[in-house]
Amino acid sequence: MTTTLEHQIEYAVKCLQVGKRYGRSQALCNLSLSLPQGRTIGILGPNGSGKSTLFRLLMGLSQPDSGHIEILGQRPSWQVNRDIAYLPDRARWYVGDTVRDAFRYAQRLLPGFSQHLADNLADVMEISLHMKVDAMSRGQEARLMILLCVAREVPLIILDEPFSGIDLLSRERIIECLIHHMSRREVTMLVSTHELHEAEPLLDHAVFLNRGELIMSGDADELRAHHGSLERIMKTLYA
Amino acid sequence: MDERRVGSLSFRIDYSQPIYEQIVQQFQSSVVKGEIERGSKIPSVRELAQALHVTPNTVMHAYQEMERSGLTETRRGQGTFITSSQEQIEQLRTKLADVAIQQFMQRMSDLGYSKRDILRLIEANERDEER
Repeated sequence: MTTTLEHQIEYAVKCLQVGKRYGRSQALCNLSLSLPQGRTIGILGPNGSGKSTLFRLLMGLSQPDSGHIEILGQRPSWQVNRDIAYLPDRARWYVGDTVRDAFRYAQRLLPGFSQHLADNLADVMEISLHMKVDAMSRGQEARLMILLCVAREVPLIILDEPFSGIDLLSRERIIECLIHHMSRREVTMLVSTHELHEAEPLLDHAVFLNRGELIMSGDADELRAHHGSLERIMKTLYA
Repeated sequence: MDERRVGSLSFRIDYSQPIYEQIVQQFQSSVVKGEIERGSKIPSVRELAQALHVTPNTVMHAYQEMERSGLTETRRGQGTFITSSQEQIEQLRTKLADVAIQQFMQRMSDLGYSKRDILRLIEANERDEER
């Protein structure tokens, strides 16, 4: 079954021997990866393993020192970025007074933003349109930021540590929102996290990084068949 | 281990095993036990993914596997249905019984019992239960 599928797989992201150094620290080292289209892919590893660096390179925000990167069939550029909804690590930007204002702002600025979809997702995420943005809890704000990404009709969504530092309820709401979204239409999602928590069943594919190197990757159910849960693999690899 | 209910169905998902296999196995056992009637409609990929909190790709993988094995059939525009063939379900029951027996025999053999010992133990166990 998987073998017959292999022939038809198209890749949302391809990296070939990518290296990136910041000063004396090697952020990514000879990284080669192929990430299949239409799947939710976990980019996993402890802090400092190169997850955010990888995303920054994919978005063209910094340049690799060596190697080749292809995203949605092209080299990273601002033109491709129209088709990518990216939530950077620790992103908190001013988006207006209320949630409704934030949606208006997104409608004007974010390519592919769908008001209709945003309203639906706000329902799933339990975010009221009248809510004041600066009165939000950390978890509510994180939910709003993710919502603004996911409400875009684009083929690729990249979320950097979307579950970090927020409460269990918000994490569950976010996961529900992402699953809701995935079952609506085909989309590729890259989600990085240093802790799996409840995100385990969200992943179709997992990539394990450590100190800028690829240590394991593959189909989530195949990895489970050989090594047990992804959470357990993480514990073993990073012990 | 997470337990989730979808209509009259109840699913237990253990993340240390492939998730799609568990979905297939739980449909198989519900059908064999008669908890799902033959010919009845099962949830759409989207409904089940949302209810189980797993990805639609995982549910799709399970549904493809069930269709391939003849447990379900997809009717265009109507959804996915459990097979209406009693024969197909009997075949599945026999297959699941074979698997159960093989697992049991393997465990007993790991404990050092021969086939003959095992049969004798089963008979002795039955006599005890009758008493």
